[in-house]
Amino acid sequence: MSIIRKHKSDLVILFATLGLMALGLIVIYAIGPMRANVLNNTYGTDYDSNFFFIGQLRSVGLSLLAFFAAFKWIPYKYIKKFAKPLMIAALVLSGLLWILSMVGSSLVKCELGECRWFNFGGLSFQPAEFLKLAMVIYLADFLARKREEGNIGKWQEFWLPLSIVCGLSLFLVVIAQGDLGTGVALIAIIFGMLLIAGVPARQYLIMLALVLAVAVGSVATSSHRMERVDAWLTTLTGGESTDSTYHVENAMLAIGTGGMFGVGVGNSVQATGYLPESINDSVFAIMGETFGFVGLFLIIAIFGVILLRMLKVAEHTAESNDRLLVVGVFSWTLAQVVVNIMAMTSLVPVTGITLPLLSYGGTSMVFIAFAIGEVCQLSCYTSREVNTNEDISSRRGIGGSRHSGSRRSS
Amino acid sequence: MRTNYQHLVANPVASMPRRIKILKNVVLIALTIIAVRLFFIQIIEHDAWVAKADEQHTLLETIVAKRGEIYMMDQGEPVAVALNHTTYQIIIDPAVTDKDGIKHALETYAKDYITANLDEVYNSEGLRYSIVAKNVPRDTANKIAEENLSAVWFQKNNQRVYPEGEMASGLLGFVNADGLGQYGVEGSLNNLLSGKDGLLKATADVNKVALSIGNDNVRIPAEDGKNVVLSVDRGLEKGIEDLAMDAINSTRATNAAALIMDPNTGEVIAMANLPNYDPANYGAVKDASAYINNVTEVPYEPASICKSFAFSAAINEGVMTAETTYFNQGYEIVDGWKIQNAEQRSSIYGTIDMRTALYWSLNTGSIYALKLLGGNPSAITQQGREKLYDYYYNKFRLGQATNIELIEAEGYIPDPNEGWGRDSVYANMTFGQNLGITMIQTATAFSAVINGGTYRTPTIVKGTLENSEIIEKEPENIIEDKILSDDTSAAMREMLIHNRNYKVRGGIDKPGYAIGGKSGTAQVVRDGAYDDTYAELVGSYIGFIGPEGELPKYVIMVKMWGEGQSIDSGEAMNLFDKISNYTINYLKIKPKV
Repeated sequence: MSIIRKHKSDLVILFATLGLMALGLIVIYAIGPMRANVLNNTYGTDYDSNFFFIGQLRSVGLSLLAFFAAFKWIPYKYIKKFAKPLMIAALVLSGLLWILSMVGSSLVKCELGECRWFNFGGLSFQPAEFLKLAMVIYLADFLARKREEGNIGKWQEFWLPLSIVCGLSLFLVVIAQGDLGTGVALIAIIFGMLLIAGVPARQYLIMLALVLAVAVGSVATSSHRMERVDAWLTTLTGGESTDSTYHVENAMLAIGTGGMFGVGVGNSVQATGYLPESINDSVFAIMGETFGFVGLFLIIAIFGVILLRMLKVAEHTAESNDRLLVVGVFSWTLAQVVVNIMAMTSLVPVTGITLPLLSYGGTSMVFIAFAIGEVCQLSCYTSREVNTNEDISSRRGIGGSRHSGSRRSS
Repeated sequence: MRTNYQHLVANPVASMPRRIKILKNVVLIALTIIAVRLFFIQIIEHDAWVAKADEQHTLLETIVAKRGEIYMMDQGEPVAVALNHTTYQIIIDPAVTDKDGIKHALETYAKDYITANLDEVYNSEGLRYSIVAKNVPRDTANKIAEENLSAVWFQKNNQRVYPEGEMASGLLGFVNADGLGQYGVEGSLNNLLSGKDGLLKATADVNKVALSIGNDNVRIPAEDGKNVVLSVDRGLEKGIEDLAMDAINSTRATNAAALIMDPNTGEVIAMANLPNYDPANYGAVKDASAYINNVTEVPYEPASICKSFAFSAAINEGVMTAETTYFNQGYEIVDGWKIQNAEQRSSIYGTIDMRTALYWSLNTGSIYALKLLGGNPSAITQQGREKLYDYYYNKFRLGQATNIELIEAEGYIPDPNEGWGRDSVYANMTFGQNLGITMIQTATAFSAVINGGTYRTPTIVKGTLENSEIIEKEPENIIEDKILSDDTSAAMREMLIHNRNYKVRGGIDKPGYAIGGKSGTAQVVRDGAYDDTYAELVGSYIGFIGPEGELPKYVIMVKMWGEGQSIDSGEAMNLFDKISNYTINYLKIKPKV
């Protein structure tokens, strides 16, 4: 391991990440005042027109801090030592939130009937975001250990503890907090990492089928979730508009009016109150209206590049734990991007999930920035060769590529 | 190269690169699906979404023009007789409004105007729109608006208010629920009064507030309607309406109409239709004929009043003077019809002059004038009919709309050569039957008879009021036509004054004034023929007033009637007497000293 020399990080991921944050800031700058205006008019609140921009600025500042902390200042080898305590802390926080919300504590912030935030004097914190990061770090550690022990795929040593941790996490997020979006992200993280951990294909597919069955079952038995599915099918098939189809229809309306080049920054009409969640979950639709097909294509391309570069880092990372972490972050990002955008374009039902780095909202941006920072850090330790499978494979980094983007020899 | 290391794998659980490749493919497939989907929505469906967005975002609002006010004159100053009063409806969205706030505000400021049970409104699920108060005055609405409550809207309602109540309702008309002027000045000058509505087309936010975003935002300001000033004098109008109402109450007449105009300018200074109705509550009127302005909209037979026109024609043609004599046998047989005089006293049988014939209003006299017009003192000829037609229709413009700024009927004058029984029809026309003319036509023609012989288009609109200043109306389509010689007019004035000699003797007409007049009692056509039982008669009287020795100042015309009632011209004349004296006093017309 030590034979791999540290080299420059993956600059593509770095700049793509910073670029997306800047773009998010521009869009929030343009539509934040409209959002404030709508809330003030409808609910009689008293938001300053710069309220949301300043909020986003703060989020971006904190996220940059988190990003560089993960990237430069805190070596991952220290972090992974705390994999278990971090996971426990995340579960405890989520559990605490649940308990406090049941007793109606003022420390809990609820919106639209869902209690997902801690509230400390105006600063809110969403433990589910922390849980996603903790899950990635924990699973990287857990799966790497199991690989070393050769216990992958074994019932008692592997599946049982895994199911307990993952099941508990999903329960706290999906059932206790009613946060289906984070649930989807967690499942994506778990299965993305399991895939790379080397779980036998048969077992993997059985578990995947099992989880999907549970998911379908939970949707079918919840009228609230069925309504969303119903709304999605209605929108997809062009049926009658209802209150539940309003969100997606207006997202598509925003995207559709954008056309090829968009209406331009500051000219979004859908952001003036027609599109719900215009600054957070629906920001992609506003970007579609603002920047058009060309703009959205570029944004998707940037996400695509980030995701593919992450996979490249994973491919070239020697250490099993490191590679799993990268794949975990990859899965997390992929899930958020794909589920968010597909919901906005009516390809899947709306689940309430933020678009990484672009949506308004502090906690989610800080944690994913931290996670991507980790990937950037690990991108400094890639080898030229593709890792085929095991850690015992040769890793001769001497004089090798300075970053993962180097040509792959074959 | 990767295969080089395959052999080193101790326990190949799975091929890592293959699994990474699966993830790569997941990324590529998912993003490709998204890109295709976006292309579909943004490029292919773009126009449809834009259309849908326009529908959702475009705020199209009419900016309602303020309706002009109507003024009358009073002591030389304009005074409003039709005003606008703006009230508001308050509408709330019960789902998002600050329930306690709006309830408190409404109960504090607009308690009397609340029309809904607020608790019920709040408890209705799914209700997003509810009118909670109506007819709220502007000040009150402003106070509530200042509370800055969310989801509360104010809808403007313009109400027409008539400060004089029912006065001159037949002249003014009313404004219906759609804001459209109906009848009277409101109806005839609706375009001028209503102005032109503006248009606001804008991209709006979800709360329907116009945004500065959007390229095709349009704001056409409303052009407010003009304030119209009538030449009608408010005090005079009120005075003659009271007199006419008294006349109705003291006779069998159910209706009366009166008109006062300046014969020298054509300006109408009073126009009354009794009984009035309340134009602010026009819906309460049961019979829509109450809306009709009898002075301009109803052609009728003014009867013997028209002898003035037949006499004027003959005198003006030089075939007759006041001293011309004829033999009055009390009746005349024309086309086999026996036409009788109403006045049958023996003292007027035999050879009499035309002045006497007019004084007693003898039909034989006016028929004689027609004969003279035809060049044959013993028969009605084609030339006579054509001459009378020429005077009636072309010179006096009877049976033609006068072009006064009101809704008008034309009426009709029979053709001199068409149809059966022309001679009897024309004989009847000399004493004002067998034709249909309006009061305004009659009074305008009469003005020409006595003003020196000039026909002048009557007017009732003085001008418009802008910034408290009357902008005189540009004379438009005003006809000024010298149709009679000065001598003819003077001779007619002399005979018409002579008609009222006994009024002077009786002390009704004050000394120092020249007051002339002519009565008219019309039989009513029933089943296609004049009803000889006289069961229903329409009484009319027309006259002029002015200082002795001067041209007349004003022409006054009165008409009284009632369905199934025989109202003779004597009753109309009594009303004329009262109105003429009232007018002299009110307008302070100085007598000759």
